[in-house]
Amino acid sequence: MPVSTPLEFLKIFAGQLQQAEIPFAITSGMACVHYGLQQITKDSDWIIPAEDLGRLRELFTRLEGDLPPWRISYRQICGAPLEAEFMAHGWTSHLSVWDSAGSVEHKVDIFSKPPRVRSEELQMDAEGWASRHIVAQMKRTDRDKDWPIVHGLGQQLSEHQRPEGLLHLAELNALLAAWKAATQQEREQMTARRPLLRMLADRSEIDPLYFERRILLERLIWERVNEQRHTRYTRPWRRFYRSWRQELDWEWPSSEAFTAQHQRLLGAARGYGLPPDPLADTPKEALVETAVAAVCQVAAAAKQEVAEVLPPVYELLP
Amino acid sequence: MKIRIVPPEPEIEYSEDYYEWMARAMGEEKAAWARLPREEREKELTWYHENFNTPDDLAVWPPELDGGKYNP
Repeated sequence: MPVSTPLEFLKIFAGQLQQAEIPFAITSGMACVHYGLQQITKDSDWIIPAEDLGRLRELFTRLEGDLPPWRISYRQICGAPLEAEFMAHGWTSHLSVWDSAGSVEHKVDIFSKPPRVRSEELQMDAEGWASRHIVAQMKRTDRDKDWPIVHGLGQQLSEHQRPEGLLHLAELNALLAAWKAATQQEREQMTARRPLLRMLADRSEIDPLYFERRILLERLIWERVNEQRHTRYTRPWRRFYRSWRQELDWEWPSSEAFTAQHQRLLGAARGYGLPPDPLADTPKEALVETAVAAVCQVAAAAKQEVAEVLPPVYELLP
Repeated sequence: MKIRIVPPEPEIEYSEDYYEWMARAMGEEKAAWARLPREEREKELTWYHENFNTPDDLAVWPPELDGGKYNP
């Protein structure tokens, strides 16, 4: 049997999800390949609603019983069981999938509440690709290589006459062109989400260095908020993992079928206190405030200057 | 949470400004690749997947550092 390449696997897995009537959207690296902004990736990232994860696990059980059988396994990195009680609160689940005995390992990451994405904006096309806007929101990480992609998606959105382009562009000329093309209503809506846009309305001439500093501050805010959010997941996960691995004859991932692996991980997560919602006890405003304080310090910026480009909390942490 | 299905955006030819930005930000080679039709881009990626153990999204380019598929 021929070995499926990552792109073929993407289509095979999407077909399986469609047949099982499980909604999904393909995002991150593969979506960036699809949109012509990233040349190479082989992992795939999928958004699957938390309420459909039970059916996804059933699909995995069925595929493991198929001929030729698939193999599905959890991976040994920070993540949660594929269970709504965790996944609805922003955890990611990391799996390895082999779609035949001789298959290469396909790394599959699943989100049910993707970071920075407002649930009402979750869109995909008929082939299953997450919209450019969703991908751009997810790419606002602390990795340098993601930021040109955010701008590129913004450029594409603008060329498709989509006002959301204004949320992602990071170069002055491109922003001015998109601003000019937008209606008054679109300008107001986008400015409410991205206060940096105010400077396009307020100033007849914009000093490029002044603009560049504000773009940098805005990016730092996204990065530091992401860091604040992310560490709320990684810290308790490390505590959980250290406790769990003390068990006698502990081995992870085990060679069991996915259902058994899942029960083992779920039991451990509940038993060793992996928090289903790591952000539950921290007001989002407090996370943003901590991030802003860090930005002020790192960029030697006054709080007022940062406040001028600070997106609303619901935008940073929906 | 519901995922809304929307019609796909039509394939459009992006402006020269877009490809010039891409060349500046990501390099000429990537900008030239981005000009290819989607099928050609996918064909190229498949070639990489078949011939190299290409890195995943988090790994460091070039793929040769991760060992070629037939030259581990």
